[in-house]
Amino acid sequence: MNHNQQSNEVRHDDENALSDFLASLTDYTPTIPDELVEHYLAKSGFQCPDVRLTRLVAVAAQKFVSDIAIDALQHCKARQAAVVRDKKDKQQRDKRLIMNMEDLSKALQEVIITL
Amino acid sequence: MNNGCRVDTDRFDKSDRERVGADEFGRSISKVAVGQICERLGFYSANDSALEALADIVIRYVKDLGKTTKFYANVANRTECNVFDVIQGLEDLGSSVGYPGGSEGCSSVLASGVMKEVMEYVEGVEEVPFAQPVARFPIVRSRRLTPSFVQMGETPEFKHVPDWLPAFPDPHTYVYSPVWNERTSDPRSDKVELARQRRKAESSLLSLTKRLLSSGSAVTSTVEAANGGKKTRFLALTDGQTVTHSAEGEKAVFETELNPVVLRGKHVNDSNTENHVSILETFTPVIEAINGRVSESGENGERDFLDKRPSVRLNFNNGRKMIGDSLDLRLWNRGTGRISSWFGRDDVMDDKKRRAEYILRQSMENPLDLPQL
Repeated sequence: MNHNQQSNEVRHDDENALSDFLASLTDYTPTIPDELVEHYLAKSGFQCPDVRLTRLVAVAAQKFVSDIAIDALQHCKARQAAVVRDKKDKQQRDKRLIMNMEDLSKALQEVIITL
Repeated sequence: MNNGCRVDTDRFDKSDRERVGADEFGRSISKVAVGQICERLGFYSANDSALEALADIVIRYVKDLGKTTKFYANVANRTECNVFDVIQGLEDLGSSVGYPGGSEGCSSVLASGVMKEVMEYVEGVEEVPFAQPVARFPIVRSRRLTPSFVQMGETPEFKHVPDWLPAFPDPHTYVYSPVWNERTSDPRSDKVELARQRRKAESSLLSLTKRLLSSGSAVTSTVEAANGGKKTRFLALTDGQTVTHSAEGEKAVFETELNPVVLRGKHVNDSNTENHVSILETFTPVIEAINGRVSESGENGERDFLDKRPSVRLNFNNGRKMIGDSLDLRLWNRGTGRISSWFGRDDVMDDKKRRAEYILRQSMENPLDLPQL
């Protein structure tokens, strides 16, 4: 009984959190535009008139991409650190981070996509 | 962000103009979006191939998520997708990467670890909207369908054809009917008709010339008061041209003579009237002759014009000397040889020779004015 009540409360909290989150999505504008997401979702059969769901998908895709990009960034920094160790100019390390195919493929391997 | 991260449309247009794929618009938009995300994370620039790969991955992810979501909705006997379907789809896609709570199996959707991660992400990251406004795409063009039998108000001729089907095309689009000439042609009557039309044209041309001449002589009195003599120039030109057209035998000669005469008339100032009258005098007998000839025979021209023509005297500048003018201004009749020389030699003599002759004549004429030359 106690456990049930507890789980009910937890569920209630979760529901609230979810509904709050969906409500906040209407204000948030993801970097990936809505029209693009809608187009590709329509191509795959996703049918929903609610804009919050498309925003949710857009945000999820944005998170996915940023995760991969952060991994690639770390790889790039690690490589730069290995190169710059010999040189005296430390400031050179902070500039000009360029995303390479190698860094990207290393980052993608963790997501099990082979390029 | 420098140029390496942005979608470089100029460069692509030149090289890839022939190979534009069907989804090019969507891909370029996602490329821009991915570039913005990378820039916000701290990248200064990105390789083009890496950017394209990442854009492709985004598109693939969105498609897969949509497919999975739709699958879950269909499994639950629905066609429209739910937020729970989306969350389950996210869990499916994230299962390969791992998310908190993934090992527990199918727990409550509300307490999904993936959702928690997404929520944390949204709260943590700053909002960077897309760089430019994007229009809704793809644009669906509405097609004009062929109207059905019912819509056309027709009934199909065959009983086995229902009337809600599109109507048949009109028979004139596929039935070939032969075409032939209804009008019968009579070669003799055609020739007669042709000759009649030619005569009519000639007579109208003659009457026009006569009218112009008569109006031209009336105009000379007014022209004395006029300044530039433009009217006379025009009349002289029209005279010359009409005469050219009607006199077939002299066409070659007249064309070369009259045009230089008329053109040089521009330099003339006050003695235009004299010039004009003399032109009239010149061509009236010609026109009379043409009149007589047309009424007599018809179209054959003879070369007796050259013999009948009186001497031409066009005095442009009486007392004045215009050394800069070209030689053609002075057409005077000092001897019978003049005419033939004028009409015969003009093509041969060039400007320099004429100029020399002019100066010579001037000096001969006015020995007192020699120092002025």
